[in-house]
Amino acid sequence: MLHFLQKRVNDDTKSHDALPAEQRSGDAASAKSSALSKKQGRVEDLMRRLAEKLGKENDTEGGR
Amino acid sequence: MMLRAVFCVGLLAIVGAAQEPDGATSLPAVPAVVVQNPFQPFDRAKFDAAAKALGASDAQLAAFTSSSAELGLARAADDLLRSLAPSFDAAVRKHEQGDPEAAVALAQVLAETKAPLLRAHVRYHLARLFLDSDDPENALTVLGEYVQHDINVSPLDAEAAFFYAQALADMPLPDMALPRFRAFLQWFPDASERFRAAAHQRMGEIERQQESRLHDLANGMKKTTRDLRKQRTGKPTQLDQEKYLEELQQLIEEFQERENQGSGPASGLGPSSNPASESALPEGEGTVGNLEKRTTLADRWGDMKDADRERIAAKVQNGLPPQYKKMLEDYYKKLGKAGTRQ
Repeated sequence: MLHFLQKRVNDDTKSHDALPAEQRSGDAASAKSSALSKKQGRVEDLMRRLAEKLGKENDTEGGR
Repeated sequence: MMLRAVFCVGLLAIVGAAQEPDGATSLPAVPAVVVQNPFQPFDRAKFDAAAKALGASDAQLAAFTSSSAELGLARAADDLLRSLAPSFDAAVRKHEQGDPEAAVALAQVLAETKAPLLRAHVRYHLARLFLDSDDPENALTVLGEYVQHDINVSPLDAEAAFFYAQALADMPLPDMALPRFRAFLQWFPDASERFRAAAHQRMGEIERQQESRLHDLANGMKKTTRDLRKQRTGKPTQLDQEKYLEELQQLIEEFQERENQGSGPASGLGPSSNPASESALPEGEGTVGNLEKRTTLADRWGDMKDADRERIAAKVQNGLPPQYKKMLEDYYKKLGKAGTRQ
């Protein structure tokens, strides 16, 4: 899941960066990079939650 | 420049000293470098002179004395500076009201003044503004200037040192933030309890996260999230993203491998919902390949020389993050038990 989501953000970033320079400026480009940032942020959030979850489970097992 | 260099070197030395009591490494003990704290205790006479140079009257300084008892030195000093410099007060007010113009207003005041006391307060507010805007890089730059040019003139020093560490943590650069939080706590024992408690909390979070590759990965992604927001979609960002993908793939493969080896759930994926009452293999002839594999591993562990087993055990004990250390301790313990049943 995380792998899939990160792959999608990577592909979108590459596609956006491959656009001609004139299409990578202005409001539309700004909105696009903001959307990319949000997607990357969602992957980060999921990764953080997974790390916290595994950390808690390890702590629980360590305390047994 | 000199002060900033001392600040950085001093903080690095603190890291080294803090690691020694752990005894976690087999490296020979290295004597701690004497740390020079660039911050001096708040000098009221120096502050008064600087405030007077900005136009403070005796009555205003007396008011500062009484309000500092109630509000604390830092807040009282900031209020005094705001009353002495209307343009600064207006800029801070803009920040408080969420006005986008606040940054430029603060920068203008900064450009116009040569007074270190006022510069210190402007830089502090500018850095706070950047932090509030999720822009720790710029906050770090501004606070670096504060440390370089403006320390030892305002009671804001402690808070500036705290937010310097905070900016590093937000970047996120946990390896650099941790010693700076530690230095803040060591160098400012009388700082506001709110900041000291926050520093302890952040240090705890950073230390827990440093033990986890998943947190490392999330930290990198956080930086990339910010890069993308700043429209940095070029090769450096793409290379970072490729690394995340490779790391994710590697983690997935490692988890799968551990599960296949029968060493229990990978990295704390949870205990079995139906555990066996004991870890012995069931009686009878094994007909599944996995059972044969586990027996072979146990055989190999049992057949090893004591010195080789001790060498592996030492590797488990030294240099592994705690969660992997615990995982491997359990794994070898299980192998040892299986081996003794042969």
